[in-house]
Amino acid sequence: MSDSLQEAGEAVSKPSATNSDVVIEANALTKAFSEEVVALQGASFKINEGDFISLVGPSGCGKSTLLRLVAGLIEKTSGSVKVRENEVTEPRTDIGMMFQKPVLLEWRTAVENVLLPSELTGKITDEDRSRAIQALHLVGLKDFEFHFPRQLSGGMQQRVALARLLQTGADILLLDEPFGALDEFTRERLNIELMNIVDGTATTSLFVTHNIAEAIFLADEVMVMTPRPGKLARIVEVPFERPRSLELQLTPEFNKIESEVRNILGSYV
Amino acid sequence: MTAETSEVTYVPDRENTWRFVPKHFAIFLVLMSVWELANRMGLADPLMFPRPTRIAEGMLQIFFLKATVWEHLAATFAKAMGGFIIGTAIGMGLAIGAALHTGFRDYLKPYIILVEAMPRIAVGPIFVGWLGFGYGSAIALAALVCFFGPFVNTMTGLMQIDEESEELFRSCRASKKQIFFKLMVPNAMPLISAGLKLAAAGAFAGALVAEFIQADVGLGVMMRRYVITLNMDYAFSTLLSITVFAFVLFRSIEIMNYRIIYWHSEELMQRKSKRRASEFAGIINKQVSGTGGQ
Amino acid sequence: MTTTSLEPENTVNKRYVKALRSSVKHIVTFALIIGLWEILGQNGQLNKYILPWPSLIWAQLVDLFFISGIIYYHFYTTLAEATIGFFIGITIGISLAVSAAFSPVFRRYIAPYAVIFSVTPGIAVTPMIIAWFGFGWSSKIALAALVCFFPPFVNTLTALTRTDEDGSDLFRSMGASKRDYFWKLQFPNAIPMIVAGLKLALTGALLGTIVAEFVSATAGVGILMQRFAFKLQIDGSFATLLTMSAMGLMLFTIMEILDYRVVFWKRDSRLLSVSRKRAAKWRRDHGNIPM
Ligand SMILES: Nc1ncnc2c1ncn2[C@@H]1O[C@H](COP(=O)(O)OP(=O)(O)OP(=O)(O)O)[C@@H](O)[C@H]1O
Ligand SMILES: [Mg+2]
Repeated sequence: MSDSLQEAGEAVSKPSATNSDVVIEANALTKAFSEEVVALQGASFKINEGDFISLVGPSGCGKSTLLRLVAGLIEKTSGSVKVRENEVTEPRTDIGMMFQKPVLLEWRTAVENVLLPSELTGKITDEDRSRAIQALHLVGLKDFEFHFPRQLSGGMQQRVALARLLQTGADILLLDEPFGALDEFTRERLNIELMNIVDGTATTSLFVTHNIAEAIFLADEVMVMTPRPGKLARIVEVPFERPRSLELQLTPEFNKIESEVRNILGSYV
Repeated sequence: MTAETSEVTYVPDRENTWRFVPKHFAIFLVLMSVWELANRMGLADPLMFPRPTRIAEGMLQIFFLKATVWEHLAATFAKAMGGFIIGTAIGMGLAIGAALHTGFRDYLKPYIILVEAMPRIAVGPIFVGWLGFGYGSAIALAALVCFFGPFVNTMTGLMQIDEESEELFRSCRASKKQIFFKLMVPNAMPLISAGLKLAAAGAFAGALVAEFIQADVGLGVMMRRYVITLNMDYAFSTLLSITVFAFVLFRSIEIMNYRIIYWHSEELMQRKSKRRASEFAGIINKQVSGTGGQ
Repeated sequence: MTTTSLEPENTVNKRYVKALRSSVKHIVTFALIIGLWEILGQNGQLNKYILPWPSLIWAQLVDLFFISGIIYYHFYTTLAEATIGFFIGITIGISLAVSAAFSPVFRRYIAPYAVIFSVTPGIAVTPMIIAWFGFGWSSKIALAALVCFFPPFVNTLTALTRTDEDGSDLFRSMGASKRDYFWKLQFPNAIPMIVAGLKLALTGALLGTIVAEFVSATAGVGILMQRFAFKLQIDGSFATLLTMSAMGLMLFTIMEILDYRVVFWKRDSRLLSVSRKRAAKWRRDHGNIPM
């Protein structure tokens, strides 16, 4: 990540580390749904391979829009967004998405839902099947492989969605408030599970959340956005060692970063 | 009681429909011309499928020149209305009873299932046998056909309040009457009005069928007479009048719905909220200036 | 997957007792109503040309079904006409809806006609249908099809065009083809509403057939009923009406069962058994799940 983070010409400070392996690169990326509704304005950033980036900002500031642009689900108005040096024009197989809602097919059992990505890209092999089962076990759904979504709790449904995300084999994960609808305890547990899964792999994650502590706890860097029209305000480095434990949130260093993010957000209110 | 509470009306994308009126009109003209030509060239039997110009002429005749349609229109309307009022009154009355009283609901259930499965229009001949060819049989049939929609929808609507709302009301020590009028009824309104729409369609169909079976006046009789005497052009004109009449009827019901259930329409909701806000204006201003002073 | 019943045994028993008691109540009320009606009739309080009493109706039923046996011919005629009309109607309705769902242009141009269809009671066309198709079975089938095509049309179209944005994003993000999108998301999503449309259509088909028979026919329960009524044999009419109700109930039940089986994912009571079946199938086809 170099010193090139800018918003409308104004440089945003960020400790530099001239690294290689840039996976996602956006330049003056803008999306306007209509003349009045500018959802995202001139966002520029780089994300390196293996990084975990959190994205925070007030509601309606364009976080989902940014994610959907990177995923190739909607077209940008101007600027550029590249994934692995290629301009994004359509959905790519190396990108997987997860939404606030689990979005499961009600008429399929958990494992059949997890198998969906394999099914959509070709015929299901025995290997796909054992991977799907493993993914379900990994997210803690042993014994629930053949339950239908309606038979599962909200948290369990979101776990199925996580398993499905793993099944895509994508190494870029775009997570749009994936656990936002869940209660505090479940969210914390799923966050830790997610962290354990991605830690130490080459998987790059972009994680949207409303919860500042959660954003910091999970991330290598926190991107902070301003209210509408959405712009990138700052990137805050999170220097803590991994693996991290929940006690980290009680340390003064953590609180310092938390109040820093809060201040950035607050200065735009 | 597992009846469909769904409502089958086609709601087109209004904006698009209007924007394409000229094109629709052109297509309509082409269709009519093809029909007309086919008719004149003898490709379609003019007796069975009268050409559009003849149908238009028939419309002109029955509406203005001979003006025969009005009497029948009024008769059918009266029958359908009578049936509608009686049917919905019975349906909603039973529904309120069933919604409020579990025992009554239990006893009613098997009969309702039977009535639901029965092709209700089939009772037509019995009613004609009992009540003769006049208004009585048609109104009775219309009422029987249409009572079901309001019944099921009203009952479902009244019973679908969630527990939390009810507990909220009870925690405010609301009386049963208050719970009924301030919670259950408003909550059921959308479904009730959908039921009324179904009932209007049913009443109209019921009146028509009674007239087909045997009657002395009404659109059904008129149409049947024309068909029997092979005046198909006039029969088509009558059918067209039925369509127009039904369309006007449904539109008026829809508009009524739209006003009563304002909380399902953004625009009306805003208007209403402004009006209500202005009623409170005095109080709110006082409070605002009060807190502003602190 | 443990699936033991959570209820202790005696509550289960209590539930049976309760169900039994309530059905006894129903039967007793029913018997009381019938008994009172019969007594009034026997004592000459009722006019048999207006409200025949149960024993008269029963006698007619016995005659229709077992002595003269004439009901079968009419019953099967109506049933066949309604069923054929139903299949023709839903085929037309669903295919029109699918085309309209895929082509916005087509959808736009049929919209005004759909409005006309939605307000005109289908049975209003009965006399014309009879004139075109004659007094025989074809006019009944045509009317049944006409009356029943609309609900599946509207329901299918509505369900297919109702966009589920999250699902669509999910499928696109996984690079699904248009075909997969239709067959794996759009269509299954629409099934519950389509089935609801089919239920309405079946009722409509039976209704259309019977009304067409009222207007003109040589066979069918509708004409049988009409003949009884016009001869002022009201007990016979009632017997026929009961038969019609039985036919309606039968068709209705078939649709309910179809609904229950096809749309299993909306029925909590079905989910458990389907989920167990799927698990068993998986074990058969792909072996046990590793620990
Ligand atoms: N499809 C769309 N059409 C028009 N406007 C849209 C559309 N999607 C989003 N917007 C607008 O763009 C802005 C940003 O929306 P976005 O969903 O990206 O916000 P967000 O940051 O994800 O908010 P939240 O935290 O509430 O999810 C909002 O003002 C929204 O109204
Ligand atoms: Mg969002």
